[in-house]
Amino acid sequence: MTTTAPPPTSTPAPRTAADTWQRKTARIVADYAMPLLVLFVLVLASVTTDGFADGANLRAILISTAITGIAAVGMTAITLTGNLFSLGIGSTVVLCGIVFLAVAGATGSVLVGVLVAVGASLLLGLAQALIVGAGLNPVITTLAFGAIVYGCVAVGTGGEVVTAGSVPVTRLATASVLGLPLPVIIFIAMTALVSFLTARTVTGRRMRLLGENRATAGTSGISAMKGTVVAFASLSVGAALAGILSAAQLRQMQANDLPNLTLDVIAAVLVGGAAINGGEASAVRTALGALLIVILGNVMLLQGLAPGERLFGVGAVVVVLVVLLHLLRKAGAR
Amino acid sequence: MSTATPLRLSAEGITKTYGAFAALSDVAFELRAGEVMALLGENGAGKSTIVKILSGLVTADTGTLTIDGETVTITGVASSQAAGIAVVQQEYSTVRTMTVAENLFLGQRSAPWLWRPGRLVARSREILARVGLQDLDPRTRVEELSVAEMQLLEIARVLARDARIIIFDEPTAALSDAEIVRVLEAARRLASEGRSIVYVTHRLGEVFEIADRVTIFRNGRSSPPLEVADLDVDGVVARMIGRELGDLYPPRSSSMGEVALEARGLLAPGFRAPVDLQVRRGEILGITGQLGSGTAELVEALASIRPVIDGSLHIGGRQVQLRNRRAGIAAGIAYCSADRKRDGIFAGASIRQNLSSPWLSAVSRAGFIRTGPEADATKTLAGEFAVDTNRLGTKVGSLSGGNQQKVAVGKWSGIHPDVLLVEEPTRGVDVGARADMYATLRALAESGMAIVVSSSDTNEVLGLSDTVATFYHGRPTAVRPATEWTEHDLVREVMHREEILA
Repeated sequence: MTTTAPPPTSTPAPRTAADTWQRKTARIVADYAMPLLVLFVLVLASVTTDGFADGANLRAILISTAITGIAAVGMTAITLTGNLFSLGIGSTVVLCGIVFLAVAGATGSVLVGVLVAVGASLLLGLAQALIVGAGLNPVITTLAFGAIVYGCVAVGTGGEVVTAGSVPVTRLATASVLGLPLPVIIFIAMTALVSFLTARTVTGRRMRLLGENRATAGTSGISAMKGTVVAFASLSVGAALAGILSAAQLRQMQANDLPNLTLDVIAAVLVGGAAINGGEASAVRTALGALLIVILGNVMLLQGLAPGERLFGVGAVVVVLVVLLHLLRKAGAR
Repeated sequence: MSTATPLRLSAEGITKTYGAFAALSDVAFELRAGEVMALLGENGAGKSTIVKILSGLVTADTGTLTIDGETVTITGVASSQAAGIAVVQQEYSTVRTMTVAENLFLGQRSAPWLWRPGRLVARSREILARVGLQDLDPRTRVEELSVAEMQLLEIARVLARDARIIIFDEPTAALSDAEIVRVLEAARRLASEGRSIVYVTHRLGEVFEIADRVTIFRNGRSSPPLEVADLDVDGVVARMIGRELGDLYPPRSSSMGEVALEARGLLAPGFRAPVDLQVRRGEILGITGQLGSGTAELVEALASIRPVIDGSLHIGGRQVQLRNRRAGIAAGIAYCSADRKRDGIFAGASIRQNLSSPWLSAVSRAGFIRTGPEADATKTLAGEFAVDTNRLGTKVGSLSGGNQQKVAVGKWSGIHPDVLLVEEPTRGVDVGARADMYATLRALAESGMAIVVSSSDTNEVLGLSDTVATFYHGRPTAVRPATEWTEHDLVREVMHREEILA
């Protein structure tokens, strides 16, 4: 190759107006797909389903969304850092609910119950983070921990229902702040916090880069262990709060409660458009994903569909949405 | 060999262009039955393109191909195989968890439709014996084999396909001397069976040892086949070099400061001898060698990715112990690997986020990123590296190779490192962006950084560096100022060491 020297200037490929326009549209649709979709489903449900737009039903939807959503927003950090999903979230939530009820009942203090439940969840999360951060597969690790947690809960409670006795735990779920149920306020706060963490802090940026490319993170001096620990901490806080609020709402809990929670949480993250391999996830979109999934379940319930049919419906919607978002993002990128 | 031997393969007028770049222009190539034909040439001279054309990975723009008197059109890997051409790859295509015998017949058209273990093992033994693996039990799992045995198995796989033309693409790059002998023997045995061997290599010694003739590529053109018996090392080297330097490279260092990085008796896995090395502020040290020469291992050891077994590392005169990459960064050593897609860039993140990734804490307060200063700092950095400052939100994965490389190198400038280690700075970078890259590296050196550039492109090393160190087979072989090297000497030093041939 004969090399006569070219002038040393940068030569970015010029983009034609047409492809920029199309990409822009695809990107905008991908960015605002979730709010638009939620709005669309809300309107559709109000028009077609009797009792949907009812105040009590909407309040139930919000509380239900808050519980699934808090766990899902916590999970978003796991997906963002390239650690896929925690498959043990369902049993962790149940564990936290039971610990909360038992401790609150024994000590008579709701606050102590909350603190012990969050602490237990964080310890569990830390143990998993250390294993996953050391390089083990997160799916296998969390699946195993989930099974262990379920086993411990089942044995520990002897299959019995746990309550807090006469301690007034329900207030946590029913209290209103600024006209919104407390769980919804906590949900919004959690979403804002995780959003801020991932978008504006050094730790959050590093978590995103870690999920984007673990090898480059390694050569750039970004610690995989640290990002993983923070992600599991986020998951643990989400699981604990979801468990506490769920227990407060139901006033009782047992080992077999919330059987579909893990699936719903993962579905919310996916419908929220997180990249499964990490590097791209948004707490706000996950929150909207949770809302969408709860609304769909609620509509199908009001329409009188059986649990099996509802599960089928949610699954089908998740598949369609995930494929659609993937295609949109592909068109929007580059 | 007499010219009366019939031609096995003859190619004429082969041209292949990529955009404006002519990888091959009007190349002629021929092979006789039963000969070993070596292919030589510098990186980018065109030898890998002709191999790709013969193996069906790329299609030539023009040209005719005749095999055993018949005109052949190769449109893909399948038609290449049907024409009797087989390639022994550098990278092993064996399935590590399966046995040798299973691997031999994996995906082969001649394989029986039902594998009877006994029959399979018996047929494997025949084939293995022909590549010198007669002592290997075909029931051994591939993951238990040595690298050389895997390479021989790779050859045996090709044999099971019964090819007339076998291309060896740098088969000995990762092998030790004793292992190389086994591969060379296998190649010679195949030639004596009447097969034609195309032997691509960077090692001149091997050419003189096994090749009958040699075709030398330079600037996308080929020499007529030369009888090896009529050649000597200097003659071959003289025919290979000659790429014009032009104004591609910036002027050399004007002033060198004190020693920034020094290795004393450094020993790491992959070295065969301890390494002593010095780089001064303002200096670009070029290190070069072939695959397996130890340059990659050295750079990784300096970057503190590879553990150091023995010896010491000194930065600014002080001895340091660097446990991992983060300790290396903290000590002021920046590192850009040869494979930027794998571990040099975050393809899905924006230019801005890529650039700020190593020095985020510098634009943050109490753990919160200050987006204003981050944007300003990345903009300044992008300007210095001739990256379009209006596109800082663009994902790096969508940039050209040259711009990706600028980001991969440029991000380190933000930590003001004392030492910058760069492997293959212009791999996958087009000629225009190369000059940019060289100017950038020189500017960084002039700003007081000590730079180590590791490259397999001898022309680049010579043109860019102030000092050039060569490596061969895991050992440092020579260190001299760039002005005391000629390209001829350097190519000779890197490709051919007399004492190892002996």
